[in-house]
Amino acid sequence: MATRGFDRADVGDSVAHEGFLRYRRFRWFKTALLIGLAVILIYLLVDVQPRHNGGSWLGYTLGSIGFALIVWLAMLGIRKRAITRGRWSLKAWTSAHVYLGLALIVIGTLHTGFQFGWNVHTLAYVLMMVVILSGAYGISVYAMLPQGLSDARSEMTGPQMIDAINTLDKQIQGAAQPLSDADSEVVLGSLGEDPFGGGVWRRLSGSYPRCGNRRALQIMRGRLAEATGKPAGAIEQVVTLLERKAAALQRVRNYVQRRALLEIWLYVHVPLTFVLIVALIVHVVSVFFYW
Amino acid sequence: MAFLLRNISYSADGRQIVRSSRVSDDLLKVGRDPDCDICLNDLAVALHHATLEQISSTRVGVSAEAGLTIDIDGSVTQFGQIDVTIGGVIGVGPFQLRVLPQEMGSDDIAIDVERAPDEEAEAKFDTRRFALSAAMPGKRPIAWALVLVVLAAFLAWPIYAYYRQQPGEAEYASGFHGDRLWLSGSLSEGHAALGNNCRACHVEAFESVQDAACTACHTQVHDHADARRMQLARPQVGGFERFQLAVGSLFGLEAGRCVDCHTEHEGPQEMAPTPQQFCSDCHADLDARLPDTRLGNAADFERSHPEFQPMVLVRWEGDRPLMRRVPLDRRPRESSNLKFPHALHLDPNGGVAQMGRRLAATYGFGQRLECADCHVPTPDGVRFAPPNMEGDCAMCHSLAFEASDGTVRTLRHGEPGQVVADVRAFYRAGLRQRPADLGTPRSRPGDVNQARAALQSARATQLTGQRADVAVRALFAQGGACFDCHEVTSAPGGSLAYGIRPVAFPSRYMLHGWFDHRAHQIVQRPGQRQLEGSAACLSCHRADASSDAADLLLPAMASCRDCHGGETSSLPVESTCAMCHDYHMDEGVPAMLLRQQVRGRRWTTTVIPVQPQPSPPGQQQRQRGQAPARAR
Repeated sequence: MATRGFDRADVGDSVAHEGFLRYRRFRWFKTALLIGLAVILIYLLVDVQPRHNGGSWLGYTLGSIGFALIVWLAMLGIRKRAITRGRWSLKAWTSAHVYLGLALIVIGTLHTGFQFGWNVHTLAYVLMMVVILSGAYGISVYAMLPQGLSDARSEMTGPQMIDAINTLDKQIQGAAQPLSDADSEVVLGSLGEDPFGGGVWRRLSGSYPRCGNRRALQIMRGRLAEATGKPAGAIEQVVTLLERKAAALQRVRNYVQRRALLEIWLYVHVPLTFVLIVALIVHVVSVFFYW
Repeated sequence: MAFLLRNISYSADGRQIVRSSRVSDDLLKVGRDPDCDICLNDLAVALHHATLEQISSTRVGVSAEAGLTIDIDGSVTQFGQIDVTIGGVIGVGPFQLRVLPQEMGSDDIAIDVERAPDEEAEAKFDTRRFALSAAMPGKRPIAWALVLVVLAAFLAWPIYAYYRQQPGEAEYASGFHGDRLWLSGSLSEGHAALGNNCRACHVEAFESVQDAACTACHTQVHDHADARRMQLARPQVGGFERFQLAVGSLFGLEAGRCVDCHTEHEGPQEMAPTPQQFCSDCHADLDARLPDTRLGNAADFERSHPEFQPMVLVRWEGDRPLMRRVPLDRRPRESSNLKFPHALHLDPNGGVAQMGRRLAATYGFGQRLECADCHVPTPDGVRFAPPNMEGDCAMCHSLAFEASDGTVRTLRHGEPGQVVADVRAFYRAGLRQRPADLGTPRSRPGDVNQARAALQSARATQLTGQRADVAVRALFAQGGACFDCHEVTSAPGGSLAYGIRPVAFPSRYMLHGWFDHRAHQIVQRPGQRQLEGSAACLSCHRADASSDAADLLLPAMASCRDCHGGETSSLPVESTCAMCHDYHMDEGVPAMLLRQQVRGRRWTTTVIPVQPQPSPPGQQQRQRGQAPARAR
């Protein structure tokens, strides 16, 4: 998995450890800042007639730098598979990847001369911005979410969380045996509930409005209020178990949501990087085709 | 007969546990209820779910309770039968009831009861499903799909569109073409119609836009100068500029192409006014690189510009005027063959002013003659039409010689032979009836009287002939109507064949520069009061101090420099080269001024901006002539 390259402690404020964001006292942050400011200054000082555009000498220069930078940034995908130390350590590389990637916003935007349209050129720009912003999102979730990730699990491992649900399911199954057919139908809704059910959106939002367990709990609580005598005992037991299952499901789903929020950016960042490189090649070909 | 039930389950380590029981009945109740014969502990099974019943020696009937279903040999149903000789499988909820084939010689029906392995449940609790990848397509398929979309839509389609079009194909302008996806910016307004027709300019793939593509339509635009000389005149650039040119040339972008200045795909942009440096790069020290050039060095109108060199009519070769460009500082004389003392005509107290006042009612003159009384602007207001005898001079300089019944007869201007003939005819015609009246009415008949009459008539005719000659000579001699204004060639040997030297003026003195009189109708030099009318004219053209028509009354550069400075001047009018000179054209309004006018930023003078004129063009011209001379 691509996230394996990052150590979560990297971004933490550890005394013993220097994360890739703080690498060498923000060496690459300063470098990127300097590059960005220099490019802005040059852009403001150079008089391009009739207006700034990608076809001026400055435009071509910025475009070439941007293209080279994008290809280099994409190389992290290969580079991250070899974890090394020293000046060209993976940490240094990652630090540079992050900050130079952000500097690319300035370089790319000034390359356009703020001229946009419904064309392949703007397509490449938009793809670049989406890739950069998804990366920025990735950095921020890596900085913020992992703490919550272990909170969400309540010190449990994934299999433990699943086992908890499994066990509860068996207990519910057992406890519900005396229930009437109608009631058992309801309880079955809880047993059939897939803790991981639903698509990407469910996972990201953490909202499961049609959760079978929740509905079963709701109905069974109603039944409990009406029931008397012997069945009431069984129903009460089932309701207690359903409540415990709701908590277990919530735990799993919180964890799943955080995982989704943590991983979703890679599904944008990585594939769109390749699309971006192809769009850039098309952009360059089109420029020379209609030279 | 009986049912033999075998309840099969598995321990945690996979060991099979079989509990057998025997039900001696031909009816079996299946359900979750502990009272059932086959008790299936799962909520998916109803309390009483189904009933098995032996209906013959070989058949067992299976029926689900109302509203419930069972699964017999893979098909979901409510009722069914199983041939016990063959056996079958009944599915109830997650359980399988396998009816085994009846053993030979036995009446018992053996049924294995087993919970089917729940693959779905295993999948449901796969811990790999914690990761987002369980709900997402792979990154690789996403990338491939999008890459193919980009390649198809943004590369293949435009290239297809390019090759489908034949260069110069007219109908191609309609519809949407793939190569529009490459359009880096909308075209200028002038080229907007070509927005769909990329090949109009991008003729060959991977070849830069050539000038030929421009001149295919712009046939009237000529080059600035000979290409080879321009190449020589270009200053040696160093450093970065040289590098830029080298890189451009490496990619097929040769310097000096039309598109270098006339950039495209920048939207409806205004072309920036040509900066002074654009010209001065070459012209500031042109003679250093082009020693044979006849152009003076020019870098800034205020500080470095050669004196005006108007085209002057310097002399005549026979009847052919000779034109030469002479710098104004060499004080050129103009040989128009006309006599005209401007000072005399402009004197506010002289006889001319006096005559003007007398004719004021007829011609609208003021207290004195104004320039506009004689000088008529061309329809565009830029220049002045050459003065014309009939319209301009004849208001005062009459060629009338006889009034006949209210009609004034005038000498024919421009035809001296005709003038001589007319004068002679006048004198002759004045005596035509005389011979009949020569004698007294009551003369006595007789030869003597007749002879006397004839003699007297002959004498009178001869005398009138002499008087006509005298009159003609007077016309062409000093003080005569012709001589006053024209160079007269004397008549050979006492004849009357006088001639008038042809008159000519250059229609335009400054052929390579632009001057618009309309923009200078009101003049205000720094620190001086605003001048209008004749005062404005005279502030540049010192006609009031000129008594000789040979004086070339063009103002020298110093006069212009009272107001016009260079591009960065502190003078009121910052004037770049482009204000008077055009890169491409030598005639007509410089493109910069035209563009200013189109954009409503043109100033007629330093004090009055152009007002939008709603009236049609014909009316505009009439309005423009506000001078009294218009009253004519």
